[in-house]
Amino acid sequence: MWAKSVAVAALAGAMAWASPGQAEPPAPYDITPELIDAAKKEGSVVFYTATDVTVAEKLAATFEQKYPGIKVQVERAGSERVFQRIGQEYSTGVYNADVIETSDAVHFLLFKKEGWLTPAVPKVVAESWPAEERDPDGFFAAYRAHLSVIAYRKDQVKPEDAPKSFADLLDPKWKGKLVKGHPGYSGTIMTATHAMSKALGWEYFEKLGKQDVMQVQSSTEPPKKLAQGERSVEVDGNEYNCFRLQEEGIPIEIVYAAEGTPLVIGNAAILKNPPHPNAAKLFYAYLFSLEAQQLNHDFGGLRSFHPELKEKAGRTPLKDIKLMLPDAAGLESEIETIKSRYEEYFGT
Amino acid sequence: MAFVELVGLTKRYGPIAVVNAIYLAIEKGKLVCLLGPSGCGKTTTLRLVAGFITPDDGEIQVGGRRVSAPGASLPPEARNMSMIFQSYALWPHMTVFENVAYGLRLRRLSKDEIRTRVETILAATKLSALAERYPGELSGGQQQRVSLARALVVKPETLLLDEPLSNLDANLREEMRFEIRRLHDEYRYTTVYVTHDQAEAMTTADMIVVMNQGVIEQAGSPEDIYQRPRSEFVAKFIGGTNILKGKHTGDSAVACDGGLVLRCGSGEFRSDAATAVSVRHHDIRLHEAKPAQADTNIVAGTVVRQTFLGSHRDYLVSIPGGEMVRSIAPVNVAVPAGQEVWLHFPPEFCRALAH
Amino acid sequence: MSNVASIAQAPRQTRRFDLSGPVFLSLGVLLSVLVILPLFWLLVYSFTTKAGSFTLDNFVTLVTDRAMRRSFGLAIGMALGVGALACLVATPMAWLVARTDLPLRRFVRALVTASFVTPPFLGAIAWEILAAPNSGIFNNLYRWLFGLDSSQYLLDIYTFAGLIFAIACYTFPFVFTLVANALDRVPSDLEDASSILGGKWLTTLRRVTFPLVLPAMLAGSLVAILQALTMFGSPAILALPAGFHVVTTKIWSLFQYPPKLELAAAASIPLLLLTILLLRGQKWILGRKGYTVLGGKSGSPMITRLGRWKWLAVSFVLSILCLTVIFPYAALLKTALTHTVDAPLSWDSFTLRHFHFVFFEFSATRLAMFNTLILGLLTATGVTAIALVVSYLVTRRSVLGAPALGVLATAPIAIPGIVLGVGLFLSYANPTFRLYGTLWILLIAFLTIEMPAGYQQLSSAFKGIHPELEEAGRILGASRLKALWQITAPLLRTSVIATWCFVFIGTIRELSATILLTTANTKLVSVIIYDLNESGDLGAISVLGILLLLVSFTVVFLASRMPIGSTRFQPRG
Repeated sequence: MWAKSVAVAALAGAMAWASPGQAEPPAPYDITPELIDAAKKEGSVVFYTATDVTVAEKLAATFEQKYPGIKVQVERAGSERVFQRIGQEYSTGVYNADVIETSDAVHFLLFKKEGWLTPAVPKVVAESWPAEERDPDGFFAAYRAHLSVIAYRKDQVKPEDAPKSFADLLDPKWKGKLVKGHPGYSGTIMTATHAMSKALGWEYFEKLGKQDVMQVQSSTEPPKKLAQGERSVEVDGNEYNCFRLQEEGIPIEIVYAAEGTPLVIGNAAILKNPPHPNAAKLFYAYLFSLEAQQLNHDFGGLRSFHPELKEKAGRTPLKDIKLMLPDAAGLESEIETIKSRYEEYFGT
Repeated sequence: MAFVELVGLTKRYGPIAVVNAIYLAIEKGKLVCLLGPSGCGKTTTLRLVAGFITPDDGEIQVGGRRVSAPGASLPPEARNMSMIFQSYALWPHMTVFENVAYGLRLRRLSKDEIRTRVETILAATKLSALAERYPGELSGGQQQRVSLARALVVKPETLLLDEPLSNLDANLREEMRFEIRRLHDEYRYTTVYVTHDQAEAMTTADMIVVMNQGVIEQAGSPEDIYQRPRSEFVAKFIGGTNILKGKHTGDSAVACDGGLVLRCGSGEFRSDAATAVSVRHHDIRLHEAKPAQADTNIVAGTVVRQTFLGSHRDYLVSIPGGEMVRSIAPVNVAVPAGQEVWLHFPPEFCRALAH
Repeated sequence: MSNVASIAQAPRQTRRFDLSGPVFLSLGVLLSVLVILPLFWLLVYSFTTKAGSFTLDNFVTLVTDRAMRRSFGLAIGMALGVGALACLVATPMAWLVARTDLPLRRFVRALVTASFVTPPFLGAIAWEILAAPNSGIFNNLYRWLFGLDSSQYLLDIYTFAGLIFAIACYTFPFVFTLVANALDRVPSDLEDASSILGGKWLTTLRRVTFPLVLPAMLAGSLVAILQALTMFGSPAILALPAGFHVVTTKIWSLFQYPPKLELAAAASIPLLLLTILLLRGQKWILGRKGYTVLGGKSGSPMITRLGRWKWLAVSFVLSILCLTVIFPYAALLKTALTHTVDAPLSWDSFTLRHFHFVFFEFSATRLAMFNTLILGLLTATGVTAIALVVSYLVTRRSVLGAPALGVLATAPIAIPGIVLGVGLFLSYANPTFRLYGTLWILLIAFLTIEMPAGYQQLSSAFKGIHPELEEAGRILGASRLKALWQITAPLLRTSVIATWCFVFIGTIRELSATILLTTANTKLVSVIIYDLNESGDLGAISVLGILLLLVSFTVVFLASRMPIGSTRFQPRG
C-alpha cells in the first residue's frame, strides 16, 4: 500500500503531522548583488499564486524589468486549487514551484507542519512587519491582505436601495440578483465564510441559500460577474478586483457591511526544494519590497503591511472599516463542516 | 521422387479436424488439383503448403526439406513459392508493372533484369500494353492474367492456385483453363491447384485429388477418377451419376429393390451392407419397348420428366422400388411424361462401390 | 536440377526471427498496463480506508450521503435529457439531409461536423456569453427589444435545462451521423417495395424507413447519453453556478482539501458500470438482425421532394445550426474583440487587448500551447501506431490470443475521462513512477482515452482490405512487417490520416482527465481555458477558444487535402 499511504498521508496532510525540527528563525537577508547574480544564473522563478491573474502578471513583468534575465512563470489558480496542486505535487515528489502565495492562511500552517517550506525572512519583513503577520519561525509572512466585500452595480441598483449589511441581502428583492464565490475553491471565501458563520450564524447562510444565488468558484469571479452585468450584487468577492474594475470605469460600488467585513490575510513563502533557490529568495524578497507592495496596492487594490506604503486616494482606509478578523487556527478544524454545510445550503 | 510431400498432415480448429491426416506425394513439374465441395479442407491444405498456417500434426516436405511441422514452420516468404488467389489480390496502389516486379525487387535483382523478366512474362500473358495501368482499370480476365504473371515471374519452385477462376464469367473461365494448362506446359512448375469445379480440374490437372471432410477420398489421373471412382462420393462429385443400392448376390451382381439385378463390370462389393452401383447418366440406354437381348441390367419405369436440351434429351424415370434414375437419350427418342420406358444398364458401365 | 538456381533466388533461406511474437507480447503488456493498472488502483482505493484497511464504508457513503445521491440522480437525469433532446433534433435533421432535396445539404453536414469539433466546454462558455440571465447577449437583446427592466430575462443557461441544452448542442452530431449514415444505406428497394404495395409516402416513411433507422437513433442517443454522463467541462462551467453537482464535478470536488480519494474512487465505480451498461445496450441494439439490412448497398436512396415545406425545413435546420455553431462562434468572436461581454458592437468597444493579454502578458499561454501541441502530436502518432498494429493482429488473427488485444484496446471506452484521471493519479503519482507533474502522465492518459476511437477506425479499415493482398506479398518473399509496410500501409493511408486527425483533435480538447493531472509545467490550453473561466476572464477564454478551433479546423482541412497518392486506383471490393 505504498502509493496509498504516501498519497494519502501527503494529500490529507492534516491527518498525520510530522513536525519538522524547529530552530531559530533564519537571519534576515537583503537583496545583494551576489544574490542577484546567482538568481540570474538560474534564469527563472516559478510563482504559484492565487492573486488575480492580471495583477500577478503585472508584478511578474515589473520584476522581470528590474532583474532582466530572470523569467517569472506565473501559475494562477484559486487558492484551494493551488493548495490541492501543491499537495498532489509534494506528495509525489514533484518540485516545480519556487514561491507560493494563497489567500488561505490555513494552508501555510499546514505547509509548515508538513515541512514543505524553506524558512527565509527578507530584511524588510523582519524590520517592519507586525509580529502577528509573520511566522515566528520565519517560514512565511503576510504578503498581502484584502477584504471580501459586498458590492453592487451603480447603474442597476440605486444607492438608496443598495444593501448596507449582510442582513439586507436576505431581502426577497435580491432573489436572482446575487453572485458569490465558493469556499471549496477559494481561500478568501473560505476564510470569509468561517468569519461570517461565527459572526452571523449558519442560519444566515441557510436563508441566503434560498436567494437563488449564482455560485461561482474563485473570489475574483463575483466582481467580474458584476462587470459583465450578469448579477447586480455580490455577496462576497475580492475588494481589490472591485477597485480595479472601478478604475476601468465600471460602475461598481463597494459596501462595507454593517456587521463587519471579512479580512483575509494572504501569506507567501518559499517552498522546500525550490528548483531555483536563489531566484526564489530574490523574488520572495521582492514581493515584500515597497515597490511590489505599492504596485499591489495601486494596481491590484490590495492592502499591505508595509509601513511606508502610500494609501491610494479615494479608498477607504483599513482603520475606518469594521472588520471580521480571520482565525486561521480555528478554521483549520472546521473546513470539513463548512464545506458540507455550504453544500447543504447552496447545492454545491 | 516426390517433390512436394504431405505426411499425415492435420489441421484442427477447435475439435474439428479440417484437414485430417492426409498423405500426398506430388512429383516435380506436375499439376495437381485438389477438388472437393466447399468446406472439404482443400483450401486449408493449400494454405498449409503455402505456410500461412501451421499444421497441428504431420509435416510438409518440399524438395526433401521439411518446411512445415507443428511448431517449426518456415514462414511463407522463405518457401520460394508463388500463389494465385481467388480475389487475385492485386495491389491496387501499384501498376501492373509494379505488381509483377514486386517479387523480383524483393529478390534484389538488378533494374535491367527486373525489366527484362517482367516484360517477358507480360508478353507471355498478353499484358504488355497494360503495363502502366492500375488493377482497378482492368477487366476481370486481365486482372487474372496479371495475377498469373506476378506469380510466374519469380520462377517459383512451387505454384499454388486457390480457386483462381471462380470470379470469372463462364466463357472466360473456360478460356483461362486452357491458358493455365498452356502456361504450365511451358514452365513446368510443380503446381497445386484448388478448385470445386470438376470440369476445371479435368482440363488442367495431371492428377486430381478429391477431398471430402478433411480426408482424401481418391487421388489419380482425371481418367482414373472419372472412370474408376472408388467411392460413392467421388462418383457423384465427378460427373453426374445414378447410384442404385442393393445386395451383393455373388457373381458380380447386385440385386436392387424392385427386382432389378445389376451385373457390374468393375468395382468392389461389400458383404456387410448394401453395395452401391454407379451408372453415369449417358451410359444408360433408354428404350421405348423392352429390348430382346437382355434379362439382367434391365428394368421398366415411368417417365417423370423429359427435357429437350438441343443436343439430347434429359429424362427422369421412376423405377420400381421408388428410385429415380436420370438418363440421357438422343433427340429422336422422345417419350412424353407418364409413359413407360425400359432402361438398360450395360454391365461394363456399372461400377460397384464399396465405400 | 534447375531448382538449385531457383532456391538461390529465394529471398531468404534461413528462418528469420519473426517479430510478431515480441510485438504482440509488448503490446499486450502495454495495453494491459494502460487499461488495467488505473482500474486496479481505483478498485483498491474504493475498498479501503485512509489507513489502508478493507472497508465498504466508501460505498455506504455513496448511498447514504444525500449530496452524493443527488449528484448521481441529477447526472442521470441530465444525461437522459441530453439523449432525448439530441435524438429529437438530430433525427429529423438527418432525414432532411440524407433523404430530401433540402438546399445546402452538404453545407449542413459540414457545419454539423463543426459542432463535432467544438470542445463542449467551449460551447458551454459561449452559451454563458449568449444566455446568462442578465449579461447574456440574448437577454440584453430581449430586454432592449421589449423595453423591459433588468429583472426580466428570456433565457437562463445556469439551470438544469440550460445545461442539458448546452450539452445536447455538442452531442447531437453523434445521433445525426449515425442516423444519416443509416439513412444513406437503407436500400431504396425496401422503400420502393412499400410504395409498389400502395403505401403512401408518409406510410412508407413511418412503417418502413423509420423502423429501419430506429436502431441507429437509439444507438446514437445512447452515445449522447454516455457523453453527457461522463462530461466534466460543461457541468463544471454551468452546473456549479446553478448550484448543483453532477457526478463528475462531485468526484472532482472530492479532490479538494481535505481530499477524499477513496470516496472519489468509489464514486467512479458506478459511473464506470453505467458506462459499460450503456455500451452493451448500444452494441445489443446495433447487433440485432434488423440493422444488418442496412449494410447492403442497393440503389440510391429515395429522395423526398419537400415542395412547399422546403423553407420551413431550411429554417429548422438553420436555426439548429445557429444554436450549435453560428451563434456560439459569433459570441466567442465578439467577446474576443470587445472590452466586456455586454459591450455593444461598435468601433469604440473594439479592442485587441484580449489577444495582447493572451499572447504577450499571460505567461501560461505559450507553455500551454506548446504542451498541447506536443501531446496532440505524440498522442495522435502513438495511438495511430499502436491501433494500427493491434487492429492488424486482431483482424488477421495472426497470433493466438489476438482478440484479447482488441478487447483491451476497446476497453477504455468504458472508462469516463474523470474516472481514468482518478485511476491514473492513483497509479502513477507515487514514488515508484513519479509521473505526476510530467507530460508523461498526460500522454498515458490521452493514449488510453483515445485508443478505442483509433482502434475502431483502423480495425474497420483493416477489415476493408482483403487479407490475400498481404498474403500475396508474403508468398512472393516479403516478411510480415515488410508486407504490412509496403502493401497494407499505403492502402490504409487515408484511414490512418483520418484516425490521426481524429485523435489529435480529441486530445487537444480533452478536459475531464486532464483537469486532475496537470500541473504548472504541464498546463494545456483546455485547462487554462478552464482556469480562466474560474477567474471570469471571458475575453481571454474567447481568444484561446478561437485559437483551439482554428487549429482543429486547420488539421481537419489539411487532412482532407492531403494528397492520397494516385486517385486512379480504387481498392476492389
